[in-house]
Amino acid sequence: MEWKEGCIWGIIILEGEKEMFDILKYIHDNIDQKLDAEDVAKRFGYSKWHFCSKFHSYTGKSFVKYVRHYRLQLAAMDILSGKKAIDVAMRYSYDTPGGFNKAFLAEFGCLPREYKKHAKETQLYYERRKLTMYNLTDRCEALRSRVMGKNDYEDFYCFQYAVYSFLGMMEGAEKNLSNEEVVAYGISNVLKKFNPVIMPGELLVGFHFPDSKYWEYLTPLDVKNPYEMTEKNGISKEDTDTYLAAIKEAPVLLKTISPEGTQMEREAGIEWAAMGRCIDSNHSVINYEKVLKLGYKGLLKEVEAYEAKNGTNPVYAAMKMICIAACNMGKKYAELAKKIKESGDEQYQAEDLDYIISACSNVPENPASSFREALQALFFAHIVNTWEDHINANSLGRLDQILYPYYKADIEKGILTKEEAFELICCLWIKLYLNYDVQQSCVGGTAPDGSSQVNELSYMMLDATEQLDFIRCLSVRYSQNTDKRFLNRALEVVGHVQKGVPFFFNDDVMIPALVSKGISYEDACDYTQIGCVETVIPGKSNPHAVTGETNLLKAIEYVLGNGHSMMYPDFKPGVETGELDSLDTYEKFYDAVKAQVYHILDLTCSIIKKYRECSVVNSPRPYKSLLTEGCIETGRDFNDAGAKYDYYQVMLGGIPNLADSLEVIREFVYKQKKYTLQELKSILENDYPDESVRLEFVNKAAKFGNDIDSVDLIAADIINESCDYLEEFSEKYALSFHAQPFTFLWMVDHGRESAASPDGRRKGEIIAYSVSPMQGRDFNGLTSLLNSIAKMPTKRTPGTTSAIVEVDPKLFTDRNIPMLTDILLASSAKGLENVQFNTINADTLIEAQKYPEKYNNLAVRVSGFSQKFNLLSKELQNHIIGRTKHACL
Amino acid sequence: MSVIAPVTNISRCSLHDGPGIRTVVYFKGCSLKCEWCHNPETQAFKKQILYAESKCIHCGKCIEICPEHHVIEGNDMHFLREGCSACGRCADACPSLALSLCGEGKTADELVDELKKDQHYYALSGGGVTFSGGECLMYPEFVAEVAKKCRENAIHTAIESAFHVPWENVEAVLPVIDLFFADLKIPDPEKHRRFTGKDNVQIIENIRKLSERAENIILRIPVIPGVNDSAEDIDGFADIIKTFGKGITGVELLKYNNLAEAKYAIAGMEYTKFADNAQADEEMEKLRAALAEKSGRNCFFV
Repeated sequence: MEWKEGCIWGIIILEGEKEMFDILKYIHDNIDQKLDAEDVAKRFGYSKWHFCSKFHSYTGKSFVKYVRHYRLQLAAMDILSGKKAIDVAMRYSYDTPGGFNKAFLAEFGCLPREYKKHAKETQLYYERRKLTMYNLTDRCEALRSRVMGKNDYEDFYCFQYAVYSFLGMMEGAEKNLSNEEVVAYGISNVLKKFNPVIMPGELLVGFHFPDSKYWEYLTPLDVKNPYEMTEKNGISKEDTDTYLAAIKEAPVLLKTISPEGTQMEREAGIEWAAMGRCIDSNHSVINYEKVLKLGYKGLLKEVEAYEAKNGTNPVYAAMKMICIAACNMGKKYAELAKKIKESGDEQYQAEDLDYIISACSNVPENPASSFREALQALFFAHIVNTWEDHINANSLGRLDQILYPYYKADIEKGILTKEEAFELICCLWIKLYLNYDVQQSCVGGTAPDGSSQVNELSYMMLDATEQLDFIRCLSVRYSQNTDKRFLNRALEVVGHVQKGVPFFFNDDVMIPALVSKGISYEDACDYTQIGCVETVIPGKSNPHAVTGETNLLKAIEYVLGNGHSMMYPDFKPGVETGELDSLDTYEKFYDAVKAQVYHILDLTCSIIKKYRECSVVNSPRPYKSLLTEGCIETGRDFNDAGAKYDYYQVMLGGIPNLADSLEVIREFVYKQKKYTLQELKSILENDYPDESVRLEFVNKAAKFGNDIDSVDLIAADIINESCDYLEEFSEKYALSFHAQPFTFLWMVDHGRESAASPDGRRKGEIIAYSVSPMQGRDFNGLTSLLNSIAKMPTKRTPGTTSAIVEVDPKLFTDRNIPMLTDILLASSAKGLENVQFNTINADTLIEAQKYPEKYNNLAVRVSGFSQKFNLLSKELQNHIIGRTKHACL
Repeated sequence: MSVIAPVTNISRCSLHDGPGIRTVVYFKGCSLKCEWCHNPETQAFKKQILYAESKCIHCGKCIEICPEHHVIEGNDMHFLREGCSACGRCADACPSLALSLCGEGKTADELVDELKKDQHYYALSGGGVTFSGGECLMYPEFVAEVAKKCRENAIHTAIESAFHVPWENVEAVLPVIDLFFADLKIPDPEKHRRFTGKDNVQIIENIRKLSERAENIILRIPVIPGVNDSAEDIDGFADIIKTFGKGITGVELLKYNNLAEAKYAIAGMEYTKFADNAQADEEMEKLRAALAEKSGRNCFFV
């Protein structure tokens, strides 16, 4: 694979495409002449239409736009170097200074003379303060400190989910109903029985009952004196008795089956090289828009219509049950609000209560008729989703897009002010607050026609994230067409909040990657994230996120051991790739590694297949089915391939370490012949007895992350090969596998289970996160790091190719932020798919390790999510401290 | 055949040496020896071995190769610089990068390839390359060739120089450089000689000529406490600046810092500390205002 054949100004041209190179060169050489698509097309022997479409597919821009963009960039340089605007305009074929000024303004957001004036302090005219910035209201301040302090909701709510859902499911199981219906009984019982609570100051009501520390639910078994708590929660003594008596017998509520597995697969799993599973729970984005548009009453009608058409089945029965129960959800709050109002409790404002009464009387039963109702209905719909299979990564999706029509209508009608809308968004953010938050939401994006979808709510959601200053899992979708001001603002939030949010997804890469997996272009344009960086088409897909998890670094161990693990030498999880003597060229060694990678992925996919069979029976998801396209139409469950898009994300771990290791082997074993494979094996088995050898391996061979092709392209090739293999396995196992070069937190476990590796990594040491370089091995500056990552074949990995970049917080100044935006856009043009920033410097982290109590709200980017630093293990804390911090001095 | 020059460092993603995102290229060899120099390893023209003791793991690989210049004494490893020919073999053998060879030649083509790696970033941000010290104008042919190729690739070009070079050197790069950073150190020629080894007559003459011919020159004054920050110094600077032509677009006052201290030890040189801390903003603002008023130029500090 040769990627450097031609690289003209941001466009990478593959080998064999010299013609495109020549075309671009021609354009560049004649940039100060009149350039016309038709002439250029003719010169290179194309029809105009064919030429334009070829040009667009290569450059991502139309001919006219490309020429204009390039001219204006050159013009800007001329302006900076002191040339007069009128001369520059003439040079680049603008007929009038006015025309030039207009084009310049469109490109840079300012006039040429302003551009020059500003160039001294800021590179780009930057107007962010003109975009309204909202401040937290007193109400939100109070609500915020309540959720971040001791969680007093617990006193009211805890156990309710655990008790009612269990009792509901037991009732269904006793009637010997289908699994779908048993699950629906559980959800419906919580919906029927839960006791609503409205806290003073709340505008948005509802609660999803988590344990305050994590995303799990608290059960009466977790405390010493359950009766005291259940009583406080309004759970009757009778229900508590039944629950406690029954749970001790540990009844089986669902009919389950377990996967058949071979010993080998289990052991491969133990070694973490090829963990296949089938994540069938709490990773979803359901069709919220449908709840807002139809209400549960409308949804019920739809189910009934399909049932009439397709015939009755347990899936429809379960859906209907949930719709009916969910209709009452709002009314419970409306009634409570009325009661509170009548009681004249002074803690509450009558105005707030009136608002709750009015919204909750209508939604979620009926369609939402205003922004407020839409927000309330959306939160209710989310709560029910979490009651199906817990909170974890059940995510919200593209909130700015879902809510915008309601916002716009209300603003036009004059029944909502912008400040009120902002306050309501803050209320939702506060409601979603968890210490560990992977309930993703997303702002920005690109419409199918290529235009930016950034709207006022996108900005407001960034503002809310900044103002509330806690971890709120938020991502930004952008493309080369996104308004730079929006990206400036998003990066500013990264710098101000310093919790690694928001994080960034490049539409120009993500959308083609999804389309390559058979997802329609329109649907691909609607993608969003769940949890960390997993990709989902909202309301249309079951992504089985983080389903297969591999540690490809193990391939080295298996080659050196001819199939045997180095950690557990008696154990042979790999395939035989030959005695070491037979691997007498690097190419042979590399082929052997690829054979092991193939084997690891095959094993992983086969295990996924087995688990999938069980998941169909064990884990019905009637609520997700109700709100996922495909399920309702076919009467098939979400976990029974009912979704329009049903795919499995296979995580490729250990790639940076594997690439670094191969580079070391190529350099020292095959090129310099300084060590034999046998000697290398012995060094690794003994975990680097000689430190000077380890440092030699670390320092004297190129490392991934420094924009050095030799090693970066190994990483790219491994991902590319893996994508090929997964395509092959998609056919073999009749499941759609998406590559996801992402490790989540498992770089710790992978590292623990891996022997010393040739890249200088010691036995048991944490491996690299996703496709970020091995910690501390990138030293060539931020742009070279991003270039390395952008070389990955990201248009094949819709999973996504994830990277965390550590940057000095001091970098986020007003002067630098526009340049950071440029850095982000330039690396995106090269192929960067997803980037997350960590902005805490090492000194602060070391300080926080020493004095945790002083740094309670300090959060860092851990994996695809942010977490409070204090809640991390020491091991992970050290890993984060060890990552290179980029300063751009 | 491409021209060759000794390049000591290529620093990518710099945001402070000119507009936009830039790559800064450092050269070996300087005609001045400023006592506060930030890149002491670039002063000498000859190649040299640098030794960072803190990275040394005492493995003795260097002693095996060159026992004359590497000795171990108890727990200390010493590098004897006297008479070292900088052949670089010890640096090749050193696994921990404690020893490194500074000043290897790079061809213009090699450098251009390296610069082009960040072309996207330059294009979006209006950035490019900055040729810096030692003294980049010691290699005018090389700089001109690289800059010319940068221009062809629409990469913005800047140099940062002390201008203590023959005028021909400046003239050679003039057509291909978009922006000049010209250092002014001390107004008084004798004092200049005391702290930098040479007087400033040629420097001022060069900048004056340049300011008549180039359009975009930023003067840079490193403010060194007790050396060039008195009222007389400011007056002196102002008098000089007033004689310059219309090409001067601004004067940048740079705060003092001690960041280079560790580099002196690595290069085996003595460090002179002029102050413990950088100047406060208020102090810099006073100097800036005074200089702006007296010189009639646009002044700012960073």
